[in-house]
Amino acid sequence: MSNVFNWQLGREMDFPYDAAYPDQQFAFIFNLNRCIGCQSCTMACKSTWTFSKGQEAMWWNNVETKPYGGYPHHWDVKTLDLLEKANPGGQTWSGTPKDLKAPYGEFKGKTIFEAAKTNISPEGAQKALGYLPTDEEWAAPNRYEDNPTGSEKSQRGQMSFTSGEVSAQHKTWFFYLARICNHCSYPACLAACPRNAGYKRPEDGIVLVDQERCRGYRKCMEACPYKKTFYRSTTRTSEKCIGCFPRVEGRDQASGGLPMQTRCMSACVGHIRLQGLVQLNKDGTWKEDRQNPLYYLIHVAKVALPLYPQFGTEPNGYYIPPRWVPRPYLRQMFGPGVDAAIERYSVPDRELLAVLQLFGKDQRICFRYEIKKGPKVFETQIRGRKFEMFDDTIIGYSKDGTKIVETKIEEPFHIRPDKHANSI
Amino acid sequence: MHLRYDDDFVEAAAFMCASGRRHGATALQVRRFHSDRETCYAQSDVDERNAAFFKVHLAWFREWGLEHLLTGFMGEYPLLPGALKVLAFRQARGRNEEGAELYVSTGKVRNAMVALRMDRLERDAPLLRFLRHEFMHLHDMVDPAFGYSPQVHLPTHNQTQQRITRERYRLLWDITIDGRLTQAGRETMAGHGQHQAIFERAFSFWPEEKRRHVFESHWSDAQPAHLELLALAADPRDLSHAQEPLPGGSCPLCHFPTFEWVSVGGLAPDSLASIRAHFPHWTPDQGACKRCAEMYEVAGKFELPATMVV
Repeated sequence: MSNVFNWQLGREMDFPYDAAYPDQQFAFIFNLNRCIGCQSCTMACKSTWTFSKGQEAMWWNNVETKPYGGYPHHWDVKTLDLLEKANPGGQTWSGTPKDLKAPYGEFKGKTIFEAAKTNISPEGAQKALGYLPTDEEWAAPNRYEDNPTGSEKSQRGQMSFTSGEVSAQHKTWFFYLARICNHCSYPACLAACPRNAGYKRPEDGIVLVDQERCRGYRKCMEACPYKKTFYRSTTRTSEKCIGCFPRVEGRDQASGGLPMQTRCMSACVGHIRLQGLVQLNKDGTWKEDRQNPLYYLIHVAKVALPLYPQFGTEPNGYYIPPRWVPRPYLRQMFGPGVDAAIERYSVPDRELLAVLQLFGKDQRICFRYEIKKGPKVFETQIRGRKFEMFDDTIIGYSKDGTKIVETKIEEPFHIRPDKHANSI
Repeated sequence: MHLRYDDDFVEAAAFMCASGRRHGATALQVRRFHSDRETCYAQSDVDERNAAFFKVHLAWFREWGLEHLLTGFMGEYPLLPGALKVLAFRQARGRNEEGAELYVSTGKVRNAMVALRMDRLERDAPLLRFLRHEFMHLHDMVDPAFGYSPQVHLPTHNQTQQRITRERYRLLWDITIDGRLTQAGRETMAGHGQHQAIFERAFSFWPEEKRRHVFESHWSDAQPAHLELLALAADPRDLSHAQEPLPGGSCPLCHFPTFEWVSVGGLAPDSLASIRAHFPHWTPDQGACKRCAEMYEVAGKFELPATMVV
């Protein structure tokens, strides 16, 4: 085991390999407040990459209804349970947030790598604490779709959280959690592979499985806490999300040679997704890049948070948490930054409101943005706090400086000329 | 009797042993298992590769004692080896898919398929409970004394009645199976109390004394028979022997329960002809409910062809 620095945990942690970081890292943000569970992303991915024989139960992108749904069933509850058993009562956070090195404080518990040492099978000690889902758990990818849970009236009391709801009238809740591979900085799938078939591309940090090396041990499926690697029975190898790397490389004809967002990001009708590439420091922390929209949302505005950071894989998928969900549930899922993130998102400042307009506006990856100031168009109070809206213009640029998006805060208002009246 | 295994089944079972979910495999065995598997990837032809994988998985399936576990107690079912040509095992994706099926070809060749979820292989005791229960189903199906037939409903029953009959039949059969297994000193899928509770709900229309008596007689029945179980499941109130329509009984035409029986002797000949056209097995002494009688009476007045009535 080596010592590596995990900035999401604010501390060093054990990892089976020495630290090695790509030049830039594939990362994405999903705004869960906007997801309507339409599965356009799911089908865009399915129809592009996993439509062949043996890939029937393979959903690189899925959208599940939380808290009950999950693919495979109960993937997160099971891993959380394993961690809790390995470290009873110890999975806690403390300390004060410190910029890039510890934006959420320090995680005092055990990661899946640290808790794995005692879990020994005939195949040896696990590299990452995990379990292999059964075939039954891989069936029914959208199980419990739209099943809500009571926030205060739950009969069994399992979900009977009593704080966190913004609206008093919302007594039941659920939300859609869209998921793809997180292309983690410390991938458990890669760590667990006995054949070294998993690897992280040095140019963009996308995690791939070398199909020539894979021999179907399924240790990656067991180790990945997000359960985002899949076994294909026809080839007897593991397959996973490839981050649509030909598009990210700018090899899609439609991109004109510019880096392009993945199929699932581009197909999102709710404009909940923003994918990009971020620069890394030598220690794996993010290089300051103030005008990169991902850097801004994650490290400046701090409205986007990693999914289950306590697993310790340093996932590169980030989420703007849904406002209406009880906070204890969200803290467990996204860590201690949830309360501040929701507060900022609910009453956005001028820059945040502008950057949020970039989601889903263009298929090409935005590397830099700038804002042209416009007039104030609205003012109100949101839960006692002053909110002002300015009709600013945000402009996004691609890697080579090409302008790829220009949009205003206020939606354009078109008036149909008189000559077209009743022309239908 | 030949044993056959679905390739997914042996692969998943072998992996279950290798991963330690089922105890018994040593570290050395697991290394050899993976090493054997790795050689199969060298096969470029898909069919040859699949055959090679199956061979490796089956070898380790046997090495880790799974074949013996699945069939080692076959001696408890003396009729099966002679009656079945093939006994096959396959993986079930969920509880609803689990169970034993008997397939009889036109040449009267009998093959059986047992489907089970892989997590049943994790521990011996629950697996053996499941298998003994399913093998007893198969044993009954091939036992001439049981007289099994796949027909578990009466020809006059509608779909709802057939479903209810099938459910009652399954319940009664399961009771006799677990009763016999208990008497033989075996562990069962469900105990006396669990079966009795389900039985009480399914036959709640009987008096308590009758329920207790019928349940106990089935639980202790050493030689149940298909027709007896079917008769009880299809007509537990013994209405088929009634000579006249009973209050609350089902109308033979619409099958809805009724308390308003009418004498069909008063119906016009055209109306009676329409009823007979739709229900060839119907006789006037079976009666009809007021609603059906009304409908056929009105239809007769309009001089419509009988096929337009319903």
